This record gives sequence, structure tokens and C-alpha cells, in this order.
Amino acid sequence: MAVARVVGQAEARLEGCRTVEVDLAAVESIDGAGAVLLARCLDRLDASGLTTRVIEGRNPDAARLVALYRRSRLVGGAAAHPQTMSALTRLGIATAGLPRQLTDALDFIGRCAAAVPKALVRPRSVDWRSLPALLQSIGADAVLVTGAANLLVGVIIALLGVSQLGRFGAVAYVPELVVVAQFRELGPLVTAIVVAGRSGAGLASEIATMKVSEEIDALRAMGFDPIRWLVLPRCLALVAVVPILTWIGDVLALVGGLAATSLITEMTPRAYVLATERTITATNFFGGLIKTPFLALVIGLIACGQGLATRGGAAAVGARTTTAVVLAIFGVIVINAVFTLFLALLGL
Amino acid sequence: MTSTRPHIIVDDLRIGWGSHVLMEHVDFQVERGTTFAILGGSGSGKSTLLRYLIGLDRPKAGRIDIDGVGSPHVHGGVPPFGVLFQSGALFSSMTLAENLALPLTTWTPVRGATVWELCQAKLDLVGLGPFGEHLPGEISGGMKKRAGIARAMMLEPDLLFFDEPSAGLDPISAVELDQLIITLSRDMGITVVIVTHELPSIFLVANDCIVLDKAAKGIVARGDPRKLRDESAIPFVHGFFTRTSLASSGTQGG
Repeated sequence: MAVARVVGQAEARLEGCRTVEVDLAAVESIDGAGAVLLARCLDRLDASGLTTRVIEGRNPDAARLVALYRRSRLVGGAAAHPQTMSALTRLGIATAGLPRQLTDALDFIGRCAAAVPKALVRPRSVDWRSLPALLQSIGADAVLVTGAANLLVGVIIALLGVSQLGRFGAVAYVPELVVVAQFRELGPLVTAIVVAGRSGAGLASEIATMKVSEEIDALRAMGFDPIRWLVLPRCLALVAVVPILTWIGDVLALVGGLAATSLITEMTPRAYVLATERTITATNFFGGLIKTPFLALVIGLIACGQGLATRGGAAAVGARTTTAVVLAIFGVIVINAVFTLFLALLGL
Repeated sequence: MTSTRPHIIVDDLRIGWGSHVLMEHVDFQVERGTTFAILGGSGSGKSTLLRYLIGLDRPKAGRIDIDGVGSPHVHGGVPPFGVLFQSGALFSSMTLAENLALPLTTWTPVRGATVWELCQAKLDLVGLGPFGEHLPGEISGGMKKRAGIARAMMLEPDLLFFDEPSAGLDPISAVELDQLIITLSRDMGITVVIVTHELPSIFLVANDCIVLDKAAKGIVARGDPRKLRDESAIPFVHGFFTRTSLASSGTQGG
């Protein structure tokens, strides 16, 4: 720090000089950083046309260190300073990259679609043996968290219904509200979001790690198609499991609604069950369940696609996992909205 | 095996990304049964060239012909070669035996006890006999590479690619690996293509080589590495084989 101060002051006072002599005789000790600052100062003076000279005095070590840093700069050639980009530049770069990202995504979806008939022709090119473990980790292990989330959503809908419908004396309609809201919208949505966060991150980071540790390259070099071998079973497991998780969640949400309503209102559990039974129609039930395989597919494709697109090291795995989760949750919400709109247009 | 046709023919290959050309006019041939080394400094594109040879990337121009069947990315199905990746690239969720069994059960009708017998034979060959039930995470780096070689050999290929086999190994493990490569080449007649910059290893195993240089964007020398060391007039090649820095002589290096 002392060197930084001295160098800074000295440079300002040297204006008008022709020859500069640096006498190291009084230097007690100098470290690498100090030598760098001194070397750069001498470089600048040289560049502005002055003649510089270092007098080593009884300090040959310090002189050697300064000389080393001056020489290494000459050999290596100075790299351009990394320029900090303005927000507008970054926005431009990001925008310019969008078409490429879109074509990459479409390319990946296309290859996944093409992999399905190929897998049917050659069933052995799919890693069926991993399927039970995948069903376990994506499905069975997730029941607790998706179930709890849906139970609480049921409670929340019921509480909202009681507070709002109760103002009109229409508490009797709370069971119907719980069924319609949960079965058609919130059940599939909440379940898929929990699965996207949980399994989306898991699958993306697993495949990303395989990518950076050359396992994907090894698969390809052995004649395997990573999409058929890895992506297909994962998507299949998700498509099989998410509807079941949603259905279990629906049941638990009804329990939550029942508990909340019968606790805070006069409605008996029996009356609640009877009112619920009437409203569980095929339209309500299947109107929600029909979208769950598509939500599952979105999660699987985004997680696996991000995993396979990973390049680099550990930091890239983390970044891809984050992107996968964000995109998967966003994708789930968008697909859910599309279905809702579509069913509404159909009048269902 | 009696064919005199070169095992690998690379013809006017150009590789790179986008508008950036990494290498161009890459021509070389690998004769059957030889141990062929792809040499060059760090960043010269040795490992990248290997990715193209094994069909992981498509060249911008030029032709790669392996075994007369054409470019490795054109034909689907069983690849006519085995590859050892730098890290071994074993599947971390499977035991060594399962790793080895995978190509067999996928590409051949072999089933049941025969599979495990064949896996055990290959594990014994690379000196990993007792480790079949271990996971890749439980063994050392050198052992992973040997397991990788065993897996690469499961389909009995007559061509093996090695990506920096001795990188990150202690000197003894490295020599053991070199001995294994020599065994594969001499006793089993396998053509070996090896990407490396380990000098002792090159002189021990390779009988033909190409030297890549980043600055020249391609091959700067080819031939027997011992001859190149003694006779090459190209400063970079001479420096590479004799471990002399070019910085002092003022010549550009890769």
C-alpha cells in the first residue's frame, strides 16, 4: 500500500522531467504487488517518452523482481482490458441470441419426437432398467411433498370460500368451489410446479453432470442415442407419475377443504361430503387430469434439454439447473393457461 | 485383417465453430496395427480432432473414413471402435461390471452368465479382476482409466482411441497404462490412436504420429516420433520433442 501511495504521488510530481531514476537503495522490502505497481509506473513513463533507469543500490532482489514483471509484460503482450458492457449492449447480445435458442429448442423437440418411433423399432436402445428407479424417485418419493402442498391448497380454498361466500350466506357452495378450483386448475398446477422444482432440478443436474464428465460423449461413442437412452425413460416416468400425484393431491385437497370448513362453520362433514360428491363430475375430474401428462412432458423436456445443452464445468451445471427449474415452472404455468383457455372456449 | 488399406483415412479435413477455423487441410492415414499418436501442445486441438474422428462432431469440410465404412457419424449402430475418454467416462450409477456389460447387452444377443464371464475376462485383462462390483466413485483415477479401456474393448474392436491416457496419473500408473497399450497393440493386433503430450509415453508406445500446432492451424510434422526428435528441422517440432522452449529463440509456438 505504501508503494501505491508513493508511486501515485511521484507520477504526478514527475511532470516535465526527461530522465527518471528510481533508486531502490532505501527500500527495506518489496513484495510482488509493490513490484508490479512500480513496473507499470516505469512502463507508463517509458511509453510517454521518458528515459527511465533503476538503480538497484544494495537491493538487487527488488530490482530483479521489478525487472521480472517488466519483462513478462513484454513477452506476453498486454491483453485488452475486459471492457464492461453497457446494459444496452448486453440486451442486444441477449436478443441476438434468442433466435438461436429458439431453433435449438425446436431442434431438441424434433429429435425427441423422432426418437419415439426409433425406440419402438429398437426397444433395446432405451434404458428400461432405469425406469423403476425413476418412478420411485420422481413419483413415490414426491408423494409426501405434493400431497402436503395440495392438502394446504384445499384448506386455503375452503378458507377463502368461507370468508367470501359466507358474506352472502352461501357457505353451502364451498365444497363445490374446492372441487372446481382444485380439480380443474390448482391440483394439476401445484403438483406440476412442485415436481418441476423437485425432479426438474434433479434430472437437469444429473444429465448436466453426465455431460461435463464426458459420460454423454461415451454413450454416443458407444453407439447410443442419449435422447433415447436418457430422455425417453425420464419423460415416460414423469408422464406416468404426474397424473397419479395429481389425483392423490386432489383427494388430499378435498380432505383439507372438509377439515377447514367443518371446523370453522356449522356445516357437518356429512353435508360437506354429500355436496362434494355431486360436483365431482367427469368434466371437472378429467378437465384437470387431461393436462397433467402434458405438464409432465414439459418438465421432462426442459430439464433434459437443459442438461444436455450444458458446456463447461461445475458452474455450468448449476447455471443450467437453475435455468431448467425456472423454465419448467414457467412452462407449466403457460401450458396450464393454454388448456384452461382451450377448455373455456369449448364451453367445458 | 489382411487388408492393406489404411485403417483410418482423413482427407482435407476442416474443423471449427461458426466462422472460426481451428484446423484445416488435415490429411493423414493410420495404418492397420500401428500405434498412432496425435501430438501437440495444450490448446492445439488434439482432443477436438479426436471428437471428430469418433463422430461426436461433424467436420465443416473434408472426409473421415474408418475401416472403409465411411465417416463415423453416418452409420448408426455399433461403432467399429472403442474410445477411452480422458476421465474414463464410466457411468457413475453403475458398477464396473455393469458398465462393461452395457455394450454387450445392447449390441449383441449375448445374455446371462456369459455376459459376466466376458466382463470378468476384460477386467482381469486390465488388472481390475476383484473390482467388478465397485462403483466408479470408489476407485482411483488410474483404475477408472483401465476400466474405461476394458469397456472400450467389450465389443472386440480392432481400433481403439485414447484421449490423454496418462494425464493426471502418477509415473508408475502411467507406465503400467503404456504397457497395457503396448500389449493391446502387439499381442492383439489392435490399431491404437492416442492423443497425448507425454513424451516418455510417446517414445515408448507410438510408431507413427502427427504433430499439431495451433499457430499453423493444422499438422506441422508427421512420421516416427523418434525420427522427428532426431531429424526434424522445424523449430516447434524439435522443441516439442526435446522439451526446449521456443520463447528464447523468438519463434512462435503453439
